[in-house]
Amino acid sequence: MKRLLLLVCLAAAGVLPLFSPAAAALADHVTEVTLANGLKVILLENHKAPLVTFQVWYRVGSRNEQTGKTGLSHMLEHMMFKGTEKIGPDVFSRIIAQNGGDDNAFTSTDFTAYFENMSADRVGIPVELESDRMHGLLLREEDFKTERPVVMEERRMRTEDKPKAVMGEQLAAAAFLIQPYHWPVIGWMQDIARYTVDDLKSYYKTYYLPVNAVVVVAGDFRKESLLPMIEKAFGPIPAGVAPDQRRDKEEPQLGERRIVVRKEAQLASVEMTYHVPNLHSPDSYVLEVIASLLSGGESSRLNQTLVRDKQLALSVAADNELVSRDPNLFSVSADVLPGKTTDVVEKALLAEIELLQKTPVGARELEKAKNQLEAGFTFAQDSIFAQAMMIATYEIVSSWRDADKYVPAIRAVTAADVKRVAQKYLVPENCVAARLVPIPSTQQKPVEQGSPKQEQIVR
Amino acid sequence: MRRIASSVCVALFCVVASWGSAFAFPPIQRTVLDNGLVLLVSEEHSLPFMTINLMVKTGSKDDPPGEEGVAELSATSLLLGAAGRTLKQINEELDFMGANMDTSANKDYTTVSLRVLKKDLERGFSIFMDVLTKPTFPADEVKKEISRTLAAIQALQDRPGAVADRAFQKALYLGGPYGHPTEGTRESVSKLTREAVRRFHGLHYHPDNAILSVVGDIDQRSIDGYMAPWLKKWPKAGLSEKRIEVKFSTRKETIKVNKPVTQSNIVIGNGGMSRDNPDYYAAQVMNYILGAGSLTSRLMEDIRNKRGLAYSVASAFEARKYPGPFMVFLQTKNSSANEAIKAAMENLERVRTELVSEKELEDAKKYLVGNFPQRFSTQSRIASFFAQVEYYGLGLDYPEKYPSLINGITRQDVLRVARAYVRPDESVTVVVADLKEAGLK
Repeated sequence: MKRLLLLVCLAAAGVLPLFSPAAAALADHVTEVTLANGLKVILLENHKAPLVTFQVWYRVGSRNEQTGKTGLSHMLEHMMFKGTEKIGPDVFSRIIAQNGGDDNAFTSTDFTAYFENMSADRVGIPVELESDRMHGLLLREEDFKTERPVVMEERRMRTEDKPKAVMGEQLAAAAFLIQPYHWPVIGWMQDIARYTVDDLKSYYKTYYLPVNAVVVVAGDFRKESLLPMIEKAFGPIPAGVAPDQRRDKEEPQLGERRIVVRKEAQLASVEMTYHVPNLHSPDSYVLEVIASLLSGGESSRLNQTLVRDKQLALSVAADNELVSRDPNLFSVSADVLPGKTTDVVEKALLAEIELLQKTPVGARELEKAKNQLEAGFTFAQDSIFAQAMMIATYEIVSSWRDADKYVPAIRAVTAADVKRVAQKYLVPENCVAARLVPIPSTQQKPVEQGSPKQEQIVR
Repeated sequence: MRRIASSVCVALFCVVASWGSAFAFPPIQRTVLDNGLVLLVSEEHSLPFMTINLMVKTGSKDDPPGEEGVAELSATSLLLGAAGRTLKQINEELDFMGANMDTSANKDYTTVSLRVLKKDLERGFSIFMDVLTKPTFPADEVKKEISRTLAAIQALQDRPGAVADRAFQKALYLGGPYGHPTEGTRESVSKLTREAVRRFHGLHYHPDNAILSVVGDIDQRSIDGYMAPWLKKWPKAGLSEKRIEVKFSTRKETIKVNKPVTQSNIVIGNGGMSRDNPDYYAAQVMNYILGAGSLTSRLMEDIRNKRGLAYSVASAFEARKYPGPFMVFLQTKNSSANEAIKAAMENLERVRTELVSEKELEDAKKYLVGNFPQRFSTQSRIASFFAQVEYYGLGLDYPEKYPSLINGITRQDVLRVARAYVRPDESVTVVVADLKEAGLK
């Protein structure tokens, strides 16, 4: 889920597990309750280990922002750690830590999510703290003054100094002319510099409401005792008015688009993306299988051809954005090995797509792709965090119940579907192609192949 | 060999802790096989798959001089062909099962891991043992792997944090077995050969130099039926541990690396400690207060929350088998590099000159003890936890002992370890930045 761009509030907190859609029969294990104020609560008991993950997901992300104020959702995510009227500033994470918990948050195009991973006996702590910050956030000028530069540092770290991240950002901007996926989740630097506390206050008031939020808890608890706690803490929060979540949709693309990013970098990179439907269309599951055929596992087509046989790429990837609120992109990409050209690598990627369109995939290869997707789906249940995250992302986009459709939908895909869907979407007029072309730095000499160090080291 | 469970040294631990929520730790069964392999099994049957994790006690510390990177290349090359299977056949078989097999090496040890559905255990484990004990290291594939590693090393130059870390480790370790990066350098990797890989594998990949952890949907019948027949065919080698010497730089210096970036990446650190150092637990408490508490540490509070200088700032001990560094790392826009370095240094001075507060000490203990169960959140975390317990000789009752190891630490202990292991006067500082913008040129 590359383009989802999870923005974690704290870099050091490490890797969020990537999940594949979940359990065969979630519906048998999940309890869903909607409180009187509209807050949806989704509970999944899992008694494997005495741990619990408590998560609050708000239906607000970069898709809800306006031009000139991009990244506001993420800025507000940061400010959510700056205290409430009730507990005061600088204590939220401290209380979680004193209880042995880990907390953090992430923002995407479609949502802003907060989580606490705790020992099971401490689940009451996040219930209190999360309900409190759903309606009593301080949003003080003095905290904003220091947090804005922190977000700018985050943007420098995530984007400015990563050539491929810059390319990805520009690619999305070229692919989406109308839809809000046009701008990056973290926002343009000039916008980060622009917002005010008043912007944050009105955004918080509009979107941080029980009617616009989902609480998901997974782990070792009994719903008979947890649900009353949640009702007591969140129940009194006024419902508010559900914000309008409709957004303009992209118009069909009228021909191939290309962008080139020339930047100091070691390796060139190529990415080709195609507009595709999200999980509301059956074709989206075929695209999941296509992604798996292309890059699922070491024996997949792109790995076998571009990485192993032809030695053109250091690494390859194919991604499909299935669980996306608005229609998103399917992409194939490769990091180009030194001495190979972007032209050749792009042609090799296109040749693989053409093969999908012309030659039906064999039964065993199709079975292999499905087996991988299904096993990945089963493996993901090992983590209560990943389980909760899957439930929540599905709920944000459509319904958590759709997660149960995943494996059957994958199993139903035929070789004819693969060919048809490749012919329908993976075509030049629907393609946005990007290249990262390394240029020699203005500050250093170009590197000779095999020379020891690019950097000039000054002691 | 008899049934594995009936061999020597069977210890069954199913501990219920006396703290927190009476946390039930995962059950663990430890067996030492006749060939010296330590087998750790933790059964949990709620999901139909398992994680198999083999730790081989060899890493880049064992790279022969001039062959830096061979430990990692050997690990990667295991999967390039084995016992009559080509690379393609191995990958096809694993992918058809939806199984994941990975290898990786660090300075101390190498890990080969397999995640596989229970129904595929027999087939999956046969591949696992073949690649481990009968790798063919096909010359052409190894050659390709070497070119890929060289490209990956080149690509690291686009990650300023990685550039800073490599420069820091190089300067701090004064050479020695820990001094080079695990993946090797351009010079060393370009000289590696299939023969070097084959030799490295022959020297180190033996059952009496390894720990096998199996976590998840596994039972005695599967162990006896599918795993034991392979494990008992793996002959022991009679290896003895080769101790290494680690020497740290003690000269205060700053290394400046010029790069066209918007943020300076900064590492500050000095020689630290090994995992078996008795001061390890006091150092963990001290480091939590100083820079490991994610949003709450002193460094975070000062450099991020108060000054708004960095998105992330943290400190850590790399406590390995042999001593590793204590280090602080942060990123800040070029123009505030000097201010951030100064602030970090002030925090290092403060923690080694003033007692921490009672409150800070209590908070650190509550977190470290209370967070311990998170180490058991997934199969792979459980597998790697018990492998490390075995590797570092912590004892299978380590989860039980842990609270007392932490709760016994005093403010004086914290000050003492800070004085001993946080030494700004002997520190290496690396700054990877646009040096002109950073005012460092």
